[in-house]
Amino acid sequence: MKRGLATGLLGGLVVGLLAIGTPAGAYHTHFQYGCNDTFYNHDAVTRADARDYAYIAAAEGYQWGGGCWNGNNVDDSPGDPPEDPNTLGEGPDCSGFTFKSWWERAETGDPWFRYHAWMQNVHGPYSAADFKAGVGASNSTVAKASTTYMDAFASSSHIGMIYWANTAYNQDRIIEAKCEACGTGTWPRTYRGQPEYSGFRRLYWAG
Amino acid sequence: MKKKWRWPLVGFVLGALVGATVLTVNVVGASSPDSAAARAGGFGEILHTPVLLARAGRPVELSYDVVCGALKDAPGPHCSPSGSVYVRPVGQSTFAPLALEREPDGLLSAVVSATDARMGFDYYVVMDNGRGRTATLPEAGADAPQHVWPLADWATVDVGVARFGRSRAPSSVLRAFSWGRGDAAIGLDSGREQSRIGPSAFDVAPDGSIVLLDQVNHRLVVLRRGASPAHIPIEFTGGEGDLAMGADGTIYVLDSSTKPMLRAFTAAGQPISAARLAEPTADMVRIGPGGPLVHAYPSEMWLPTGPDRPPFSPGRQLESAHVARSVGWGLGVVVHASPSEVKLAIVHGNRVEHAWVLRGETSFGEVQLAEPYGDGMVVVVRLWDEKHAEFRVLRLGAEGVEQSFDVAPAEWAESASLSRFRLHGSTLYQLRSDPSGIAIAKFAIGGTT
Repeated sequence: MKRGLATGLLGGLVVGLLAIGTPAGAYHTHFQYGCNDTFYNHDAVTRADARDYAYIAAAEGYQWGGGCWNGNNVDDSPGDPPEDPNTLGEGPDCSGFTFKSWWERAETGDPWFRYHAWMQNVHGPYSAADFKAGVGASNSTVAKASTTYMDAFASSSHIGMIYWANTAYNQDRIIEAKCEACGTGTWPRTYRGQPEYSGFRRLYWAG
Repeated sequence: MKKKWRWPLVGFVLGALVGATVLTVNVVGASSPDSAAARAGGFGEILHTPVLLARAGRPVELSYDVVCGALKDAPGPHCSPSGSVYVRPVGQSTFAPLALEREPDGLLSAVVSATDARMGFDYYVVMDNGRGRTATLPEAGADAPQHVWPLADWATVDVGVARFGRSRAPSSVLRAFSWGRGDAAIGLDSGREQSRIGPSAFDVAPDGSIVLLDQVNHRLVVLRRGASPAHIPIEFTGGEGDLAMGADGTIYVLDSSTKPMLRAFTAAGQPISAARLAEPTADMVRIGPGGPLVHAYPSEMWLPTGPDRPPFSPGRQLESAHVARSVGWGLGVVVHASPSEVKLAIVHGNRVEHAWVLRGETSFGEVQLAEPYGDGMVVVVRLWDEKHAEFRVLRLGAEGVEQSFDVAPAEWAESASLSRFRLHGSTLYQLRSDPSGIAIAKFAIGGTT
C-alpha cells in the first residue's frame, strides 16, 4: 500500500506541477489575478483631479488590453510578449489608460464620470482609433493648437494625454501607456506637431 | 476498481493537488498587488517651464502647477498647494521669498519686479502640497537654482509662412536599413494600442562613423565608411533613449525607462559605467566640456554625470545642474520656445553673448537642434499646422539668417523626441524613417541659400 501511495503521490505531484507551472511560466506573473472590479459613479471632476489619478500609474507597467495597476512605482510584470492579453500583466494600454484617467463610463452613450479603482481591471470600450474618430458621448475632437492639459493627442494606434504643455524646447510632457518595454509614464513628446496625431478632449470637466 | 490501484490513485490525486496548490500560492502570491502604494502620501510633482530668457526691463512672471500624490485608491479632492519662490537678483548674495498666489486658471504664480529682473536672477521654489509634504524645484534649491537672462539685444528672424511639401532633398543618403532583426536591419517595436517605435537615436563620432541606438534589438549599430555594420549588444531596459559620442569615442546611452540610466561604453562596446539619474524623466544626452550632460525633468536642467568612473551620484548631479547646456569655452546654449516665438541665446555666465528671436505666421513646434556654428548657431525647428509639418533649418549669424531651407519630417517611426538631427562639422545628419525602414540623410550647411 505504502509503495503504491508513494508512486501515485510522486506522479501526481509531477503532473500538478507541470499542469500549473508550465502556463504560469509562459504567461509570467498573472498580476491581474489580484485585480478587482471596484468603481463608483461620480460627479464631474476637474482636469487636475484626472491628472492626479493618472500620475499614480506613472512608472507602472504596460499591458495590451489591460487595466489595473497598484501604484508601487514598479512594473510588476515586465517583459510580457506584446499584444497578448493572456499574459495578464500589470498596467493599462494607451486607450485603456485614457479611459480610466478621464473617469469615463463604459456605456458609450453616457458622458458622465466614474471613478475606476487603480486595481479595477477594466479597459473600456475605446481603442486609440476610436478616440481619434471622436467615438463616445464624452469625447470630442479639438484642434491641437487649442489643447490644454489632460486633453489628448491620438493616432490610429496610440493615444497620450497632455501632462504639462509647452516645455522650454516646446515639447509637451505626455502621460501615456507607451509600450511593453516603456511601461506607463510621463515623457516629453512632439505629438502636437506630427500630422499623424490629432487633438481630443474629454467633455464636461468640472474645471 | 481493482484494489491494487486504489492507493496509487489516492496518491496521484493528493500529489496533483499539492503541486497545484504550491504553484498557485507561489506564482499568484508573488505577483499579487501590493495593498499599499509606495507613491501614496508622496508630494506628487511640481510642474514649471523655466523662463530662461526674458525681455530686459520688464517684470517676469513665474508660474507653477502641482500634481498631487494620492493618499489612497479612492476619489478625493485635489490638494491645496502653497509656497514661495526664492529670488536672488544678479549681484546679490541672498535669496528673498516671493509668495505664490493662485491665478484664475489654477496656476500658482509670483512676479519678479523689473528692477530685480534687470540684470537677470536665480530662483527656486519651495511648495507645500497642503497634506504635510513639501518639495523644492529644482531639488538642490539655492545650490543649483534656475536662472533667467535678460534679453536686451537680439536679432529678429522672420521665418515667414511654412511652405509644406517643398522641402530640400538630402545631398546624400548615407545608409539605409530595412526593419527587422538581422545584420542589415533595424528593430521596429509596433503593435495595436502602442506607439510605432524605431531606433531612438544616433550620433556621429569624431572620425565620421555613425552609431545608431537600435534599442529594440538591444544593440548599437556602428557604421564605418567602407565596412559592414558592426553590432554591439548592450543592456537596455526601457523602450526609448538617446545617444551621444564623446571626443574619445566613448558612447553614452541614455535609457529613458521609468527609472532613467546613463550607461557608458568604450568605442569597442565594453561597458564602462552606469549612472542612475537624479530626476525621473530624461530626454537628451549631449557631450559638454566636462563629460556627458543629461536634460532632465521636472527641472528641465542639464545634469552632469561626470567624465570618469564612478559617475556622479544623483545628489552630485543635482548640485552640479545647469540651466544652459555647456558647450565649452565658458559658453552655454539656452533655448525657450513657444508656438508663437522661439528664443535662442549663447550665454557666458550671467551675460548674453548673442540672442535670436524667431517669429513667423506658422506655429512653431519643438526645437530639434541648436548648436553653435561659427559666430552663430545652426537651428532646426518644426513648423506645423493641424495636418502638415516640416523642419526648418536655419544657419544664424550675428545679424540674422545666413541660410534657410526645409527638410521633410520623415518620421513614420518614432525616435527619441529631440534626436532626429545631429550636426557634425558642416554637415547636418537626419534620422529618417518610412514603412520600408530607416536612412541617415545628409545636408550641407554653408553657402548663402
